[in-house]
Amino acid sequence: MNVAASDKQLTSLLGNETLARLERLRLQPNRRKTNRTQGEHAAGKGGSSTEFADYRNYVPGDDVRFVDWNIFARLNRPFMKLYQYEEVMHVAILVDGSNSMNFEGKFERACQLAAALGLTALMGVERISAYVVGASGEPPTVMPPCSGRVSMRRLFDFFERAECGGDATIDSAVESMLRRHRGKGLAIIVSDFLTPASLARPFNLLYSAGMEIFALQVLGPTEIDPDLTGDLRLVDSEHGRTVDVSSIGELHGIYREHRERLEEHVRRQCRIRNGRFLSISSDAPLDWVLFDLLQRQGWLK
Amino acid sequence: MNPTGFLAPSFAWLFLLVIPLVIVYFLKLKRPRLTIPSLVLWHSVINDQRVNSPFQRFKKHLLLWLQLVILLSLIFAAMQPFLRGGPGSADNLPILIDCSASMAATDTAGGPTRLERAKERVEALIDGALPDRICLIAISDSARQLTEFTNNKRILSKALEKLTVRDVSGNLENGLRMAQALARRETITSVVLVSDGNFGGLETSANGQVIAPVDVELPFELKYERLETSARNMGITAFNARRQAAVGTDESLTSWNVFVRVDGSPAEETSGEVVLEQDGQEIGRQPIALEPGQSKRLVYSLESTGVSSLVARILADGFDGLDTDNKAFLRLPVSRSLFVWCDTELESYRHALEVFPGVVVYPGPTAAGQPDLFDLAITETTEKANPNLEASVRLVVGQIPEDLAELITTRTGSSPVVDWNRSSLLLQHVNLDNIEITDLPVRGEDVLDQHFREAGYQILATGRTGPLVLARHAPGRESYYLLFHTDRSNLPYRVGFPVLVKNAIDISQHAAGLAEVHGQSTRVLDARTLEPNQAYTVTGPGTSNQSFRTGPDGVLSGIPAPRVGIYRISGPDGPVATVGASVLDAGETSLASADEIVPRDEELRVGASSTTIDTDRPLWPTLAWIAFVVLLVEWWYFQSMTARVAG
Repeated sequence: MNVAASDKQLTSLLGNETLARLERLRLQPNRRKTNRTQGEHAAGKGGSSTEFADYRNYVPGDDVRFVDWNIFARLNRPFMKLYQYEEVMHVAILVDGSNSMNFEGKFERACQLAAALGLTALMGVERISAYVVGASGEPPTVMPPCSGRVSMRRLFDFFERAECGGDATIDSAVESMLRRHRGKGLAIIVSDFLTPASLARPFNLLYSAGMEIFALQVLGPTEIDPDLTGDLRLVDSEHGRTVDVSSIGELHGIYREHRERLEEHVRRQCRIRNGRFLSISSDAPLDWVLFDLLQRQGWLK
Repeated sequence: MNPTGFLAPSFAWLFLLVIPLVIVYFLKLKRPRLTIPSLVLWHSVINDQRVNSPFQRFKKHLLLWLQLVILLSLIFAAMQPFLRGGPGSADNLPILIDCSASMAATDTAGGPTRLERAKERVEALIDGALPDRICLIAISDSARQLTEFTNNKRILSKALEKLTVRDVSGNLENGLRMAQALARRETITSVVLVSDGNFGGLETSANGQVIAPVDVELPFELKYERLETSARNMGITAFNARRQAAVGTDESLTSWNVFVRVDGSPAEETSGEVVLEQDGQEIGRQPIALEPGQSKRLVYSLESTGVSSLVARILADGFDGLDTDNKAFLRLPVSRSLFVWCDTELESYRHALEVFPGVVVYPGPTAAGQPDLFDLAITETTEKANPNLEASVRLVVGQIPEDLAELITTRTGSSPVVDWNRSSLLLQHVNLDNIEITDLPVRGEDVLDQHFREAGYQILATGRTGPLVLARHAPGRESYYLLFHTDRSNLPYRVGFPVLVKNAIDISQHAAGLAEVHGQSTRVLDARTLEPNQAYTVTGPGTSNQSFRTGPDGVLSGIPAPRVGIYRISGPDGPVATVGASVLDAGETSLASADEIVPRDEELRVGASSTTIDTDRPLWPTLAWIAFVVLLVEWWYFQSMTARVAG
């Protein structure tokens, strides 16, 4: 985006007030898909945290340090105390940087949302990595995994410098990301999802890689409600292909049906993989999206 | 019958232009390009079954369809289609246009005249009646064929444009007879009459309808389109003068009574003033107020020496529909004695003439300087036998006209008078009962009264074997023939004889205008006797100079006077007469309107219609408008589409 932050602003993507409010929010994945690396997420029993989880029978070989001696004194049988695991969750943020996003502020809004969601992940002491995929066949722009508050500046710089352009599809973008990404966790995909290919394959790849899918669709106002009339030759921004449409004004209703059908398709693909889906307009107020819509939809807490 | 037709079906070859239009459309179709993020959604929209329905496919090429509509409309317009007006439309359509005096009337102040409105109607008929061939006929006192049967609009419009009102009464019969004559050589099924319904001889039927009876059989359907009329009018319908005193000497001061009859509208009250001018000076002014349908006679007394010109004018209060009948002219003649020639052998006549004042009898001891033209000649010689004796009125005694020699002869015998025309000017108040006549006029075998009429004679009295008294009227000349000699009858010993002579004097005085003068009405100027075989030029109002020539008898007749105004007759030595012609027609002044025309066969009554007659209607203007509107729609559609894309 090549937009430098002003002196008073920490980043050009988000205002300071927005950043302050975001620091108090955390991502809410449906399932805890964590890694063995110790982290902040309670990932099951048998961990080494201070959070008690359960008891189990003692078996030879167990570490006697975890025997509950009080119960042993009462029952004369050894029981092992189990504690929660607190493991790190990898949050991979994939931003669609194809030409189709270069309309009506879609890419800018996608970067803002990605930066905001990345910030909440950093504040939750998660490891995050970010990918901007433009042209297919070319390596994506990658922000390597990082964590902690100290990585905030790095996150913002990455999205401020992100460029848009290319013909990459979601399919190829996910494949390209998974070639570099390691670890389970959360995959946040910010795209318009206007792709002819089926989303089943890339979503299966993510699911099998242990990633929970958060799909965030960003559409322009005219994509949601096109205001066109007459006979037109529509040109695809990514491939340059054309299609002739006559009396386009009469087709708005059918177009709307197909757009809603596409949203439902993506939502269903996410839901069957225990993921989330949300579609927003690029001209929707950012604060409303972050602090109202996403919280109401359970993405943030 | 096919309800539609084409005037120019040969232009159907223009339909071939559809082929290049379609080809060019698809070759040159250039849609505005619009770059969008992705075609994914639009591909799915295009592949939707609903989008590919036939109606949607039609709309896909809406511009092409609009262009085809424009082209087809223009091609059909070029083929000049028309909608037939019904069974009344025909190949040949005579249109009778009334242009009599009443057609100069306006029904609203400052509005168009009736003739102008009639022209608009006829123009619409011409526009609508094509391809029918139309013939325009103007009706006034006579019928004039303005054009031959033609479908040339330019000729018809030009003839219609030239048509003007003639200040004469309308004679519908003449127009219908002309249409009847045209129907003999052309196929005519219907005739259109455009008029205000003011014709001569209107009558009111028992049910209160105003009818115009015409003695014509109608071999066609007459469509009577009557103009809506509502004019208020007041006009002069008679303008006469009568000498008060006995005939005096030449150039003496003579008193006259002048009579002006003013008629008003049959439906409205009218009022105004009647002004009388003598030689340009106003000599009388009388107010007049008329009830609906009322007429009044105004009397003015004046004195004149020599020739005097009178003009009567109406100054109407408020709106007056017809201007031309508000003015009338009268010319008072020179006061002089009546010049009578009476053969010296006709002692009984000379004796009877002596008692009448103002009569100078030639030859005689008191008659000095024999005039060239006598007012009355009582003679035993016919005109042919004595051509040197010229007289306005000739009473021939005991002679048979030369042209009737084969029809009748005179024998000696006795015959009473069987019957006579008691209303004739010569024999009025003359009792011919028990008159013994020793001359016996005998008509030839198989000679009927009709043969005398065909020869131009009117039988005034009839005996057992043939006519006894004949009359012949010619312009400027009146002749009466007593086929028996009065000296060989006991008529001179009866009371009727001086009455007969007095009647002859009255006829002569009227002919010479010495006793009573009447205003000259328009149509044809009264005949007058001038130099024989001489060319004269007549200049009238609104007309160019017309030349006429007198015959051997010196009678100048047949001068048309279609307009109200002064007509000047000039000879080689300068002006010889000035005559003022006026409408003087109560029918025209009343502006009455016939509701029905009743022909000879009364079952074929023709009612008036105030609506425009349905005729063939050309459709090409409609098609041209459709093409224009579609062109605008296409332009708007194209522009709005471009604007949207640009926006």
